[in-house]
This record gives sequence, structure tokens and C-alpha cells, in this order.
Amino acid sequence: MKKLLILLGKIIIKVLHLFHRNAGNLPGIILWHLSKQRCCSIFKVDCPIIAVTGTNGKTSVTNCIAQLFEKSGKKVIINREGNNLDTGICSLLLRHCDMSGNVKADYLILETDESHVPVVYSQMRLETLVVLNFFRDQLDRNGEMETLIKKINSFCRAFDGNLVLNGDDPNTARLGLANPKNERKIRYFNAERYKFATDKTFEASEGHFCPFCSEPLEYEYYQYSHIGKFICKKCGFGDYEPYITASNIDLEKPVFTANRHEYSPKLNSIYNIYNMTAVAAVGKLYRIKPEIIEDVISNYTVNNGRMENFMLGDRKTTLNLAKNPVGANMTLRVMNEMNGDKELLFVLNDNVADGLDVSWIWDINFSIFERVTRVVTSGTRAYDIAVRIKCSGYDPSKITVCPDLDEAVAELARTEGRKFVIANYTAVQPTRQALKRYSENGGKNNE
Amino acid sequence: MSKIKILHMYADMLDLYGDSGNMEILKYRCSKRNIECIIDKYSIGDDMPYFPEYDMIYIGGGADLEQQHISSDLVKCRGGIKKAYKNGSFLFLICGGYQLMGKYYRDADGNEIKGLGLFDYFTVAPSSRKKRCIGNIVVNTEITGNPVKVVGFENHGGQTQGVKTPFGSVLYGNGNCSKSDAEGYFEKNVIATYLHGPMLAKNPEISDYMISYCINRRSDTHIKLTKLNDKLEKDCRRVMLERLLNK
Ligand SMILES: [Zn+2]
Repeated sequence: MKKLLILLGKIIIKVLHLFHRNAGNLPGIILWHLSKQRCCSIFKVDCPIIAVTGTNGKTSVTNCIAQLFEKSGKKVIINREGNNLDTGICSLLLRHCDMSGNVKADYLILETDESHVPVVYSQMRLETLVVLNFFRDQLDRNGEMETLIKKINSFCRAFDGNLVLNGDDPNTARLGLANPKNERKIRYFNAERYKFATDKTFEASEGHFCPFCSEPLEYEYYQYSHIGKFICKKCGFGDYEPYITASNIDLEKPVFTANRHEYSPKLNSIYNIYNMTAVAAVGKLYRIKPEIIEDVISNYTVNNGRMENFMLGDRKTTLNLAKNPVGANMTLRVMNEMNGDKELLFVLNDNVADGLDVSWIWDINFSIFERVTRVVTSGTRAYDIAVRIKCSGYDPSKITVCPDLDEAVAELARTEGRKFVIANYTAVQPTRQALKRYSENGGKNNE
Repeated sequence: MSKIKILHMYADMLDLYGDSGNMEILKYRCSKRNIECIIDKYSIGDDMPYFPEYDMIYIGGGADLEQQHISSDLVKCRGGIKKAYKNGSFLFLICGGYQLMGKYYRDADGNEIKGLGLFDYFTVAPSSRKKRCIGNIVVNTEITGNPVKVVGFENHGGQTQGVKTPFGSVLYGNGNCSKSDAEGYFEKNVIATYLHGPMLAKNPEISDYMISYCINRRSDTHIKLTKLNDKLEKDCRRVMLERLLNK
């Protein structure tokens, strides 16, 4: 039966190729139906599997971990396009297996959606699970945050592989106590206080209470959102021995130290420091050569709308994806940490993949705006973000609403100065294209 | 100079879908009119406030877990909130805040959380967590004397029954129960609703109804609010109404 399914899946991929279609998720979706929803169980995987999950940073960390092994000369299979549900992983493995379903590689590195970790790894043996953070995000699809964490927690209760956890996020650190028998395989990464950490949180957050005894958690500092050094005074939750710690963080260079090595990443956000510390933790765990870890961390950059730079004529423009308030607040911080005047374009969509709802923009702290001389808004909810920014006290006469993206980019480029662009999930690719169109045509794309 | 005092309860725990934005909006609209707007916060562990000194008491919505956490604390505030309400303080209640002022809330597992019982309605969540009322919602309300189409976002499992005086009628979306005609609960000093978004973002008439109530509630003369430039808010609502109602 399994062989039949694999044959069928391979045929589907071939047929799609004949029609010049990218196979994407479709073969996996068909097999999902035919395999009684266990489409990842039809493969035979003998190599170790490393999975990366969490709300933010999955793609970056998955790519970097894959590079650690690739640069060590290993054959790696990775889901690069973010096909991170069971059906996407099934489609990926279909392309890489032989007719008997054997997957041949040294390592499988799989970005895995938070809600799909128990689904996928009840079907395939997982060696290492990396959990980056849990933020309120995509509530509509996953149900409430607590339900999601409980699902992963019950998976961890029976999991005897390596767990690499963000120790500064109570939502992920709690997973380390799920299976006491597995204690020696739990590794926490964390980061020391950085310059812009605060004593109180000004951003929307979760994790107010100790998940074990319901006492309010106490924070020594918040790095961003609810990420920081926390402790439960009653039961001691938060008091753990870190496996690796990012210290001496200086975002202006940017530079940080971990495991006695100094790293100079390309991206200068605290966000990226946490991601790279997770990468360093996996590198340490798998005894990757220090020079390879350094190479990966210091060269990692992205061209997918995550702090990506464009030139609009002679005006430098930085685009950043923001799926949630944490991401948007991050960009605002980067803007503020930079001297001089700047202008912002905010592109906001409310498509299905955005969760339909845009109220998360009210958790963005626009009152910190410094020297932002003008705002342009665009996307299907261009007016919502304009109202949001106005009600934070920003002068509405400096806000221009242009629902059409090309018009919005032209409007942004009209004046001189440094530009920043924030776009949410489904807005980021159209925004990249609009920015590219403008920079290639030098603003003469008015057909 | 007029002054409004608001008590924002459990702001650190009940803040789903931008609910705290409602406070930012009220504060903004007051400041544009030179009305002093003081917002105090109360949460678990704080000293018991004197509720009747507030012109408005505001409670937002939260996830089930957070709602359980606060419900026992809220019961301790019952006397104070009731007194304030009887004295004419405005109660502005969203989602969980709305549910907890009724008789009870029965969650998906059948656990009953006792409400404050200020009002007669009660809420029952269906046993399947997947059956939720989620999406954009348009409600026609006449509370200001003129019909206003209010646009927001709803996400609730709970089905609220026994409401005799709703906030408005549903033009798009679900309302108090799945596919129901009525949304929310209303009295002259109570707006209770499932609308997030936040609720006041594109509905300036509702903000002004409450501000006007609060500054006039103790005086014999009626102070009229100065008009603000609400072009962005109204354009925002118009775009959504065109999308949702003209199908
Ligand atoms: Zn505790």
C-alpha cells in the first residue's frame, strides 16, 4: 500500500511538471487523503531529523542549521520554501525518495509549523527539536495560544530526543520540564541583557503566569515582547543552567559572544541574535567545527523581505516583514536606533494567510516614533493602519493613504531621505515586486 | 476643563485583538477636545479601587485561561462595580468582559465560571472548540439616536443568550450567537459587545457617545462635543462596508 502511494505521488509530481507547474503542496494533500491523514508515515527515513519550530524565525534558523551540515560536507534535505505542514513535508520527501520510499540523506532539516510538530513526528522519528519562541500569532488557525502550547507539551512528554529551547521565553522554556526522564537532553539557549532591554514590557505579551503554579512571573529585564530573564519566585521555574548564552551583544557593530566565540552577524536585530544563538546551540550539540559555525552566522543574510535593502533612485530603502506586533516593533526600534529623518511605508493586508484580522496593529507601539517625517500606507487595509498611526498621536496631515502598491511606492520615493517599509505576511512579496519595479524603471512605471 | 476618569481592569491579561486600543482612542479623542482623560489600571493583586469615582469601567477580552484567572478576582469587585453602575458609571465591556457580567459562562469543557450577575444574560460555549464565530462583523446600532453601521472583528466560542436589549442588529457576521440577529447588550450606561478590532477604531460615533455621556453624567447643562476630523476613520469604515455589504 505504501509503495503504491509513493508511486502515485511520484506520478502526480511528473504530471505537474509536464504542465510546468511547481508541485508544491498538492501531491502531499492528495496523499494525505489517501493515507488516512498520515502522509508522512509512508517514508523510510534512517538519517537523523532536526526540526525547527516557533512563531518567528523558523525559516532563518532552519536555513542556517542546514548550512552548518552542508558546509561540513553532509547531504542535507531541507524544506526551503517554508512548506512546513505535514502535506508540505510529504511533498518534499516524495521528491527525494526512491520507489520504496527510502529517503537517502545524512540529515533532514525541517522547518515545522507549531501546530504540526505532534502530527509529523508521531509518524517519523525525530532526533532534535529546536523551539524558538511562541507569540500570539495566527490565532484563527491554531486556536488559542495555550491550546497550541499544550499540544506541543504533550508531545514533549513522550519525546526522548534533544530539545533545544529558548530559555528566555517562558512559553518555550516550560517544555523542558515536560519529560523529567529526558532531563539531560534538554538544552536552553538565552541572551544577556542588551542595550535596549527594558525593566517593564511596553509591548503586547503573553506568559504572565507561571504555567506550573500560576504565580505571576517576575522579570529581571525584557529584551522584547515577553522575551527576557524571568523567574517564578514560588516554584523556581526559569532557574536553569543555560547550554549556551549570547553575551556582549552590541547591535551597532553588530557583534555578540557565545560559547567563547565572537560572532559578527549581518543582521542587527536582537531577534536575529536569538536566532543565531539557536544555530550556535545546534552547532555545539552536533560538534560542528567552530570555523564553520562562525562562517554560517557571520554570512547569513536574507533576500525575502526580512531587512532587505532596495534603492529607490538614490534613496536607500529597507523592507522588513512583520507578521505580528513583535516584528513590527522590531523594525520601529531599528528605525529609532538610526539617526536622522526617515519615512515609513506600511503595507497591511487581511487575506486568509494573514489571519483575516488586523487588530494586532494596535499592539504596535507607534508612540516611540522618532524623526519620522512622513507615513504612507497601503494594502487591503491601508486605512486601518493609517487610523492606528493617527491615534497614537502622529499628525494625520503627514499620513498619505495609497491602497494601490505602485502608487504607494511612487509616493514614498517622491521625497528625499531614508525609507523604511513594513509589510505583513501576504503583503511582503507584492511589496518587494513593487519596490523592484520602481527601482528598475526609475519611477517611470506608469503604464 | 472637563475631565473623565476611566478604570481599565485587567489590562495586562484581557487584551485580545487590540482591545487596549479602545483606551488609546478614547484618550486621543478627549485630548483633541481638551478633555482631561485619566486612565487608571486595576489588576490582580492591586488595592481595591473605589469604583464609583470612575466615569467609566472598561474590561476587554482574553483567552479562556486568562478569563479563568481573573474571574475569582472579579467576584471580589462585584459590590464596587455594581455600586458604580447603579450610580451611573459607564460600563464598557468587550467579549470576556461582556460574558463575565452576565449570570455565568460555561466553557467548552463544561466548567462553569460564575459571572457577576449584573445582567440577566448567560453564555455557553459549544463543546467543540472548532465551532467559533470568527470574522468581520457589521452591526447597525441606534444608540446615538441615528443609525450607525459599526464595523469590527468577532472571535468567540461562547453563545450569549437571554439578551433583551441588544447593542444593535447584525448586518454581517454572527453576533451574540452563531448567525444571530442581535449583537451585544445595551443600556444608556452600558455597552457590552463581542466586537474587537478594536471596536472604536472606525466607529468614532460610539466613542463620542461614551465621552459625551461621561462628561455630562453629573451636570445639569449639556456640554456638546466639538466635531473632530474623522475622515480617515470614516474612509476606513466605508471601505469595509463596501466590501462586506455590497456582495
Ligand atoms: Zn511557578
